[in-house]
Amino acid sequence: MTAVIAASNLSKWYGNVLGLNDVSLEIEAGITGLLGPNGAGKSTFMKLITGQMKPAIGTVTVRGIKTWNNPGVFREIGFCPEQDVFYDELTGWQFLTGLLRFYGYAKSEIRDRADRALDIVDLSKDKDRLIRGYSRGMRQRIKFAQAIAHDPGILILDEPLSGLDPLGKRKLIRLVKEFKSQGRTVLVSSHVLPEIEALTSRIVLIHQGKILAQGDIPFIRELIEAHPHQISVRSSEPRTLAARFVGDPSIQKMTFGPDGRTLIVETHKRDDFFGRLTGVVLEAGIEVEEITSPDDNLQAVFEYLVGK
Amino acid sequence: MATVREKGYSHWDGRLSERRFPWWPITRTGIQLAFRKKRFKFIFAGAFIPSFVCLAGLYISERLEDFKTFLRGSDRLLNINPKYFATFFTNEALLFLIVLVLAIGAGGLIADDLKHSSLQLYFSRPLRKTDYLLGKMSVIAFFVLILTAVPGLILIVFKLIFAGSFKFLLQYPWLPLSVLGYAALLTVFLAFYVMLLSALSKNSRYVVILIFGAYIFSNVLYGILQSIFRTPYMALFSIPANLQQAGAFLFGQTPPHNVPAIWSFAVLAAFCVLSAVVLGRKIRSVEVIK
Repeated sequence: MTAVIAASNLSKWYGNVLGLNDVSLEIEAGITGLLGPNGAGKSTFMKLITGQMKPAIGTVTVRGIKTWNNPGVFREIGFCPEQDVFYDELTGWQFLTGLLRFYGYAKSEIRDRADRALDIVDLSKDKDRLIRGYSRGMRQRIKFAQAIAHDPGILILDEPLSGLDPLGKRKLIRLVKEFKSQGRTVLVSSHVLPEIEALTSRIVLIHQGKILAQGDIPFIRELIEAHPHQISVRSSEPRTLAARFVGDPSIQKMTFGPDGRTLIVETHKRDDFFGRLTGVVLEAGIEVEEITSPDDNLQAVFEYLVGK
Repeated sequence: MATVREKGYSHWDGRLSERRFPWWPITRTGIQLAFRKKRFKFIFAGAFIPSFVCLAGLYISERLEDFKTFLRGSDRLLNINPKYFATFFTNEALLFLIVLVLAIGAGGLIADDLKHSSLQLYFSRPLRKTDYLLGKMSVIAFFVLILTAVPGLILIVFKLIFAGSFKFLLQYPWLPLSVLGYAALLTVFLAFYVMLLSALSKNSRYVVILIFGAYIFSNVLYGILQSIFRTPYMALFSIPANLQQAGAFLFGQTPPHNVPAIWSFAVLAAFCVLSAVVLGRKIRSVEVIK
């Protein structure tokens, strides 16, 4: 698949502070989560993609076109910034139509697009209210509306779920997923792991201005060889099961869970273990209730990579 | 495994009109927001008072016999010539009113964008930094021109109507150009002046104070330096004095201060260049890491 967004040797300094350090990556269509703690460089990366800052070194391209000093490319990009960016004295409708005017649509088209975007984010009823009176969730949604109103193929969302209540989060997640299903590209940043996990399994991990990893969560997990995989097997006879694996060289460590029914195995060769487990369970006639990988999630991957 | 995605959306097929003036939405919004302030409407209306006074002077000048008792010998002030227009345009009351209108109506032009972090919204759209600055400048141009060029040209027309002949215009055919030239000078200078100060703070109230403070302080500084050094060149430190010098030159009058007007033009131009450099540095996206 061809890259929609491509960064090549991208670096950005703020005076003596390094915001982004030699980042090279390609982002394809679909949802990609940009994950990292506060100050990791997520917003810097997004601002470089949206052409708001000039890279100190390197280039960013969107569909092969450089974004810096090339405003035409922003017809194709919708950007939802992290902060509130409103003139409180405008209504939601005025805010949207005002921004749509920059794209050169006819008046009727501006009205139609504003109506459509407000409808998508469920703000049609409140469009004539001053933004000053909007709740946090409504503000997030009107920000999202301005990002999608011009029908961009690429959406850049900087912490879009922050401050939303659970219902608001669910609505926004649904909207973003709908965008993905239409074949668009969405780059969404967050420092909250479950938020990203709810949106996508494809992530870019960024920390201290560097890309630590990129890919699907299980794929990245496979690459982390320093940390063995954890496999949790809940069965009626965990100790019998453990006895069968004692001599297995692929196993690093075995512990029992607090419930007394769970065997937690740490191994570098997950596939080998699963292959043997099937045979052992059948031979010994052990009834297995559940097999899970507790560290095969974003939280674990993130903690391994950033060394927390 | 890579998934095959079907492109489920289609781009708008309508015709995008190439925006010849991509800055216009900024100007429009700026003007609309200014007129939402009640006190601004009041001050803006009040800023036309000098124009009406000048218009009354034009009328009376054509009916001197009718107003003889009222004028009591001060009719020499109503000799309508370029000096009359220069006096109208460069009088401190008008300049102060224009600065007042701009402070209230345009003080937040950039400060509010900085406060609301709106720059990132502008610059993630098909808009260049120059378009942004032009849009903001046009708001100031709108107010300055409507208070100077428009009344100036209307006053000339009324002079011709009251006189019932084109004699005045034939006598001073360059006067409309002087009006437009001075209005343009005021527009350019005040645009840079207000925008520079607006870009220095996120708080539009501070900006209002700055706009007034710098304007008045420059005049006070001129007074202090003048009393110390006793040279008319100290007038170059005063914003209103420089505008009056340049105005007098454009209307073909003797400058009020004994300094060549070219020096005032140079001071105003240098200020504009300096402002442009500072604005170029200040108008950029919000820094992420402090």
